[in-house]
Amino acid sequence: MTWPTYIPQWPLSVSPALWFALALVIAVLLGEGLVRYLKLPRIVGYFCTGLLLGPAGLGLIPELPAIEWRLVVELALGILLFELGSKVNLRWLKANPWIAYTSLLEAGATFAAIFGLLIWFDVADATAAAVAAIAITTSPAIMVRTVAESRAQGQVTERLLLMAALNCIYAVICHKLAVAFMHGEAGISSIHVVFQPLYLIVGSVLLGWLFGVTFERIHRHLGQHEETFSFILFGMITIATIVASTLMLSPILALLAAGLITRYRRQRPQTFPAHFGSAGAVLVVLMFTANGLAADLSGLRENILLVLLLIIIRAIAKLLPVLALASYSGIGLRQAMALGIALMPMSSVALLLTLDTGIAFPTFGAGLGLALMSCIVILELTGPILVQLGLRWAKETPEKIA
Amino acid sequence: MSLIPFAPSRPLSIGVELELQLLSCNDYNLVSSAPDILRQIAKHNHPGKVKPEITRSMIEINTSVQYGYGALVNELRSLRDTVTNAGHFLNLAIAGGGTHPFQHWSEQKIYDAPRFNYLSDLYGYLAKQFTVFGQHVHIGCSGPDEALYLMHKLSHYIPHFIALSAASPFVQGHDTGFSSTRLNSVLTFPMSGRAPFVLNWEDFEQFFDRMVSTGVVKSMKDFYWDIRPQPEFGTIEIRVCDTPLTIEIAAAIACYIQTMSSYIMTKQSAEPEEDDYLVYTFNRFQACRFGLEGVFIDPLTNKQRSLREDITNMLTSIADHTKELQAEEAMECIREILAEGNGASWLRKTYEREHHLNNVMQQQADLWMGN
Repeated sequence: MTWPTYIPQWPLSVSPALWFALALVIAVLLGEGLVRYLKLPRIVGYFCTGLLLGPAGLGLIPELPAIEWRLVVELALGILLFELGSKVNLRWLKANPWIAYTSLLEAGATFAAIFGLLIWFDVADATAAAVAAIAITTSPAIMVRTVAESRAQGQVTERLLLMAALNCIYAVICHKLAVAFMHGEAGISSIHVVFQPLYLIVGSVLLGWLFGVTFERIHRHLGQHEETFSFILFGMITIATIVASTLMLSPILALLAAGLITRYRRQRPQTFPAHFGSAGAVLVVLMFTANGLAADLSGLRENILLVLLLIIIRAIAKLLPVLALASYSGIGLRQAMALGIALMPMSSVALLLTLDTGIAFPTFGAGLGLALMSCIVILELTGPILVQLGLRWAKETPEKIA
Repeated sequence: MSLIPFAPSRPLSIGVELELQLLSCNDYNLVSSAPDILRQIAKHNHPGKVKPEITRSMIEINTSVQYGYGALVNELRSLRDTVTNAGHFLNLAIAGGGTHPFQHWSEQKIYDAPRFNYLSDLYGYLAKQFTVFGQHVHIGCSGPDEALYLMHKLSHYIPHFIALSAASPFVQGHDTGFSSTRLNSVLTFPMSGRAPFVLNWEDFEQFFDRMVSTGVVKSMKDFYWDIRPQPEFGTIEIRVCDTPLTIEIAAAIACYIQTMSSYIMTKQSAEPEEDDYLVYTFNRFQACRFGLEGVFIDPLTNKQRSLREDITNMLTSIADHTKELQAEEAMECIREILAEGNGASWLRKTYEREHHLNNVMQQQADLWMGN
């Protein structure tokens, strides 16, 4: 008797997408469990699921193809960056320059401290600078997501969002400069070392401006119908990401600039649902799960000392300037502690910059890059918890109703 | 604890307290930043006082003792600028108005101070729901009996003050149809309403002692009456006004009350009677519900007029006192309110034009901060 064709053959041949779908369901359930029983942020659950089931953990789910992973992460990150930018009021820096000084000092100290540490570990100058630039980042994704989820409002929340946006700008620019120097060390003429970052900044901001103005026009005519609106927004974000990549600009910078410019030009207050609606929220779940799946802890054992030092020194370099300038900038010590701690998380932006460096310089990807990846994994896992702790500590989350 | 003696004060001197809204510049919802802005304000010298209020999205500004409209407006302007500058520094907007149009009471947080924690424990959700914003006006009195006399006489005109200052038509995202909804929040408190009908200070002290001995109150602060004597300052305190949309209106209403007090204290008229209060709650309701269009019933003559008409007549009656107190500019402002409408009608017009309460709140804040 022949095996009937309408019954599947053993072993079953399953589309790899099934595992990812399964991971998503588990991620969401785990996220709900964490909120309900441990009062932890949901994204910890999403990331953990990816981490546990993926290649870095139990290995139940095969590695995601890099192109698909990148598509998900760039789109979701694009949404979160645009969301972050549209919440940040740049005019505040003029009214309270102490916040600008705090941000510059904090980013500068982080860069200097990490650069110094790596030089001490005998890392080449340009490479040390690239890693130090990445260390400046304060995950915009974790920030936007945790603030939205905890429904926090207040001075620490607003400063956190503003400083995360600024750190993202510093990091992308410094990273591009450092990579240019890495190329310089590899023997590329110095004119390009100057011209490349200039092209990057001007081009990305122009693209962001174009995006912002177009979005504003469309939004004014379409109104707030969520479905139409999120469809157009996601389409535009995808287009902007692809255009930015094609022109070798920074999608990160372009979408953040788009949000900031929209907010800057806006005459009337405008509120959007978190992540611009439920479709955006789904992408956010996807991104954090995908980040967990892509997590790479293979460099941890070998570089444990360096990884720990990177985390500790970065934490101190971020915390101290915030504490030092707290009273000038108009917050109390408790708030400054909360703000400093909440500046810790790293995730998608750092991850993308690290991967980009690794692609350009394979030796980096196989060496120091792995240590940096371990740092990012640890700070992506603990980051949301630290942000939530900070916001609670600053009393900016809603009170329990008796 | 017995009542403290009635302090001496200059008759007809005025003091103004305004409760203000602290807003986020992103969505113009209330934001619990009172500790931050108070810390910032404390770094600079300013006239008067800036104090916390029951929830952290409110602050209160107090003027010092004033006599004339000019000086009162100047002090209020200076206080406004102090608060506005601190607001800019912290990315906060500040606004007048009696209610926030779309805040949710459960999102408000109690300001951490013993008295506010006590009130929150006692009143439960009423304490958070009390995130409404009022103007209190103190009028100096030559003595305690005069204070009680003025209090009962002024009670009659409470609807005037409500209708002129009314600026709270929107609550929890909707137009209520009221001009002032703020007083509905006050009415839920057990010690609200009007003061007992007592005409001399000894009787008032007896009443107070009796209330203290029942354990219901500890000090004058526990009475949430529309007008209450404040022996500590030697004043009576009129508490029915919404915080107006600008400090100029706030000063004008304070001077209107001052001028009317001057008129009452010099005019020969019948002693206050308990019967004067027969229509009190009806008149009060009409003012809250319909503002200047509300019906005002004179308990002495039973005549009915609109509040607009009654205030217009009153402006004529007190003209001599206006001159004497140099309050012409203030009365001009009152006439403008009669002609163009109170804060509630400004808010409704703005909403009709803007369609979003966030935008209304933004313009309300711009108006108050003088942007």
